[in-house]
Amino acid sequence: MDYLRVIWTVARKDLLIEMRTRERVAAMGSFVVLVGVLFNYSIDTAIVRPQEMAPGIIWMTIIFAGLLGMGRTFHLEEEDGAFSGVLQTPIPLDALYLGKTAANLVILSLVTVAIFVVFSVFFGLSFGSHPVVLAAVVFLALLGFVGLSTLFSAMSARTTMGESLLPVLVFPLLIPMVIFGVSATSRLFAGRPVSEVTGSVRMLGAFAIISVAAGAVLFRHVVEE
Amino acid sequence: MSDPAPLAVREMDPSGAPTPTLEARGLVREFAGFPAVDGIDFQLTAGRLLTVFGPNGAGKTTLLRILAGGLRPTRGQVLLDGNSVDVGDREWRRRIGVVSHQGFLYGQLTVAENLEFYGRLFGLSDLAQRVPERLGAVGLENRSRSPVRTLSRGMRQRLALARALLHDPEVVLLDEPYTGLDAQAAAVLRDVLASLKDGRRTVVLVTHNLGQGLELADRVAIQVAGRFRWIDDRDRVDASTFEAFYRDVVEERA
Repeated sequence: MDYLRVIWTVARKDLLIEMRTRERVAAMGSFVVLVGVLFNYSIDTAIVRPQEMAPGIIWMTIIFAGLLGMGRTFHLEEEDGAFSGVLQTPIPLDALYLGKTAANLVILSLVTVAIFVVFSVFFGLSFGSHPVVLAAVVFLALLGFVGLSTLFSAMSARTTMGESLLPVLVFPLLIPMVIFGVSATSRLFAGRPVSEVTGSVRMLGAFAIISVAAGAVLFRHVVEE
Repeated sequence: MSDPAPLAVREMDPSGAPTPTLEARGLVREFAGFPAVDGIDFQLTAGRLLTVFGPNGAGKTTLLRILAGGLRPTRGQVLLDGNSVDVGDREWRRRIGVVSHQGFLYGQLTVAENLEFYGRLFGLSDLAQRVPERLGAVGLENRSRSPVRTLSRGMRQRLALARALLHDPEVVLLDEPYTGLDAQAAAVLRDVLASLKDGRRTVVLVTHNLGQGLELADRVAIQVAGRFRWIDDRDRVDASTFEAFYRDVVEERA
């Protein structure tokens, strides 16, 4: 119970700070709108069917917007050495990681909803006839993504390269998310049966579990001196 | 003024109780082969306050970080009640309160929210009562709803002290707590530090300020180039000549 309380306390604090500063949501939201507008003008919908290219663009937008926001996970923590203060408390460091991951998941989920809304508005997309399965695909991919990016954000925050190091570290590890996320989303957008995406959903589930578990185990080695 | 004493000086409780609350044994911490802390030994029993003086770069902050469990020593060990502790030891963190150069505070949260956040991480259940009490002790009871970023340097430092003492730690480590404070804020801080001398707590205070450092000390050490070049009881220190003595020790004339 104490463990869950720590996760909740850390996540709540991160979300409260984000609500007040809107630092990350504003950066990610602006990027999403910009991508929507740019693609709206650069794609001739008379030649290309948005339905066919939307999955790739949507996932690309999620990844880049996500990296923009997740890269700043530890930015405010460093301002007055607050993260050092948190490390002075007797909490399990994996609970600290899970709290920050949970907050990042909430933030990125909100941005992802905005991405789907923006693409729906600009391209008149239909999201297929299995919204729950689509939501599961997106959720599992996001969970894996924030699991990795929270860990690597802690790592890059402690280097002189800072946020610019994050994409270099994370991109190669996001390959499963991109392959199975885009594949499942394409099929669902095309109205294919759920049986065609169950393999991808399983792979995304494995990706999410491995990412978060690895993050929880490795986080202490990243933050402890 | 007494002559420089050997490095490993035994600290005996007046009552004869031998087990020190906090003990450093042969602490060494190297950065890229350079020893920032170079063989420090001391023992401190409950209720005693050790002040560590030293010039910039003497390794005082590094020593405090090791004692706080934020940095693993290259060699040597820290003992709490006679038991060796390591960086990952959560019980160690529960028993220690740290005031550093930085406040460890979130500028976007209010004064009370900062204390509540840390209180929850320490597993405290009586925060509704404890937080106003601690804020009252440092004179911030009227600013509980103010965002920390709107506080002055002195107020932030007092809040940092309230944060460090929130969980009632047995060992308190203070790194230059008077830095940047005006006379009024320094007086409030001095009162709070004096209240720490309640016989239960063990305190290590690192400072450049000789007057403030001597005022509350039971033991006094001068750290130079990573080592305690001199350590003795406060009773054996003549405050009127300490500044000259300090210079002599730092410049290796003593």
